[in-house]
Amino acid sequence: MSSLITAAKAGARTRVPRFAEAAVERARLTVVPPRRAIGRTQAARTPFAVLVIAMLVAGVVGLLMFNTNMQQASFKATALQEQVNTLTAKEQSLSMTLDALRSPQRLAVAAKKLGMVPPGQPAFIRLDGGVLGAPAPATSENSVRINPLPTPAPPSLKRKTLVIRVAPQTTSTAGSQADTRGTSTAQTRGGDRKNTTNESDQSGATH
Amino acid sequence: MGLLAIAMLLSLFGARLFQLQGVDSKAYASRAEAAGLVNIALPAKRGQILDRNGTPLAESVAGMMVVADPTRTTPNAEAIAKLLADRLHLDYFDLLGKLTKKNDTTRFVYIARRIPSTLASSTMDELKAHNYVGVDTRPDPLRTYPAGDVAANLIGYLGNDPTKVSGGLERSFNGMLAGKDGKETYEVGGGNRIPLGDNSQVDPVNGKNLTLTIDRDVQWFSQRVLRTAVESAKAQSGAAVVLDSRTGEILALADYPTFDANKPGKAAKDDLGSRALSDVYEPGSVEKVLTTSSLIDAGKVTPRTRFTIPAELPVLDRVIGDWFPHGTIHLTLAGVIARSSNIGTALAATQFAPAELYDHLVKFGLGQRTDVGMPGEARGVLGDRDSWNTLTRAQVAFGQGLSVNALQMATAINTVANGGQLITPSLVVGRATTTSDQEVGTETAKRRQVISADAARKTAEMMEGVTTQDVGTAPGAGIEGYRVAGKTGTAQEVGGACNCYRDGGLDVSFAGFAPADKPRFTVYVVVKHPSDGASGGGTAGPVFRKILNYVLQKYAVPPTDTPPARIPTKWRVHGRG
Repeated sequence: MSSLITAAKAGARTRVPRFAEAAVERARLTVVPPRRAIGRTQAARTPFAVLVIAMLVAGVVGLLMFNTNMQQASFKATALQEQVNTLTAKEQSLSMTLDALRSPQRLAVAAKKLGMVPPGQPAFIRLDGGVLGAPAPATSENSVRINPLPTPAPPSLKRKTLVIRVAPQTTSTAGSQADTRGTSTAQTRGGDRKNTTNESDQSGATH
Repeated sequence: MGLLAIAMLLSLFGARLFQLQGVDSKAYASRAEAAGLVNIALPAKRGQILDRNGTPLAESVAGMMVVADPTRTTPNAEAIAKLLADRLHLDYFDLLGKLTKKNDTTRFVYIARRIPSTLASSTMDELKAHNYVGVDTRPDPLRTYPAGDVAANLIGYLGNDPTKVSGGLERSFNGMLAGKDGKETYEVGGGNRIPLGDNSQVDPVNGKNLTLTIDRDVQWFSQRVLRTAVESAKAQSGAAVVLDSRTGEILALADYPTFDANKPGKAAKDDLGSRALSDVYEPGSVEKVLTTSSLIDAGKVTPRTRFTIPAELPVLDRVIGDWFPHGTIHLTLAGVIARSSNIGTALAATQFAPAELYDHLVKFGLGQRTDVGMPGEARGVLGDRDSWNTLTRAQVAFGQGLSVNALQMATAINTVANGGQLITPSLVVGRATTTSDQEVGTETAKRRQVISADAARKTAEMMEGVTTQDVGTAPGAGIEGYRVAGKTGTAQEVGGACNCYRDGGLDVSFAGFAPADKPRFTVYVVVKHPSDGASGGGTAGPVFRKILNYVLQKYAVPPTDTPPARIPTKWRVHGRG
């Protein structure tokens, strides 16, 4: 009886899980099957590695290209800067030429070549036909000297005429030989020579 | 065993690292810099000097300096020297010396400076074509003066060394014109800048432009007319001033002799400045205008006041005479001015105490600098107020015993033209500060009433007589159709062995303005030490007339179409026939 009870008890004990066997079966923890899982990860890793390597390569290549491009741009910048400098220089030298052409002195020289002179006195025509001022034709007297007089030669370069007084009995050819005589007598007649030179300077005599 | 070897090797590396980084780091760093780092100065562009219409009188253009590294040029020194000598017009032997290596330390020599950059770059291209190395260019701004000698006396010039600016406005406004140089540092590889390399840049601050009140054309014309007059009279020097009567702006300030600003080295040192400002002289009879206008202003005389002029007038220990011989004559004040009688002016001036005349002349700006911004302006001499006696008064009344510069005198005369109001003259448009911190320019011009408008008008009417035929001393200075007010001046200069008036030279001058009843321009001309028998009317008068004629026409000033003032210059003593 007791065994029956025990059996019954045991039967009751085993019967309870059997009662919800499917649920228990489901709730029981099991180890994840290893082989299937490994196979799955290996299959996913290959494209990832390829992707990473591709990105790395793309990055390196991109950086290289970027650098090359920048270098190329730097070459271009240098070349363009040179071109700018050349053109600026050209523009400036052209404007220098223009300034030289516009200089009042050059214009005056050109106007003078055409025979123009500044007006002698200002006069104006009014829009209603009236005339203000006293108009008079310009003449050569109104011209203005636009170039300086030639620089006078320094006194040391001026030709000095030496007049030697000779005795009255000398023939007429003596005059043309004055220079030679002057130099030959210069030392012996130093005093005379000085006097005569002064005289000729004052009178401006030449021969 | 293996570990010990590795440790020894590593400690060797460590020692070397310490040597490189700790001990010699600076030396290596500077060597690395020298290898690829370029350090260049970025010169600031110097401001232009413009005339009133914006035409450049001085401008800076891109220039280059040619430099060389003798250690690299030595192999081709002769060929390079020949090429550079041909292209840049330099001395061959001089170049050869520079391009030949003397020692290892000299790696930089100047070949030429301030070469127009087009010329420099074409020369460089040629050198490159021949594969000559070691010559290089650097920016070096070039200063040019397109009009040559026009206004050179005012502008001055820039020598080869930009730190030594010589003379004129280039000097007094150097701070403003020069700007501030910048610099740039960058790494290069194969002649190209390395992107992302070390670089730093300080931008240059370009100089500011200076605009003058000068009209280049009027300045040119004045200089030419003045030169002709000085040459014809065989005079020592001359000056001419053209002022806008209403604003005091200097349209032209001519000096002769002067120089070409592009070739300052060829001129005499004394000709490099402006004598109109730096030289003082006795103004002579032109000064009578100031004396008589002051007398009229004070109500002491009128243009019709009658004077009996004796043949000579003793004052203290001296005897005052006139330039024309005469017995006793009867002139009105207008006649005294028209015929320029010293005795008449001295007689009129007796109505002032000496100090009173002194005060009036101070009001006219004599003895004070005009301060237009030019360096080296002379102040002029008016003497000591308390030391003036009756003789000083008599002499000063007709322009002796005081000295002025040409611009001072022009300003004083302009006061009469501008209705009695003195305007301080200006050379710079707007406002500018000199290196000595002085503010000048049209905006800082000051005005002050010196004589009444009525006194100024009466004086101008008297001055009309000077240019009137058969009345005045300078009928040749008049312009037909216009009312021209003027005054001649012939002053003797103290000089010679006796240091007296007799042996010194003459200074002849002419001052005036037109139209007399509505003045527009004031012109003042002085010719110093003419050697031929010159006079204010005969020598300076025609210069005055030509310049005035030119400005009236250029600025389209029509005649006023009013009848000329005809104030009687003589009077008759009744009862004597």
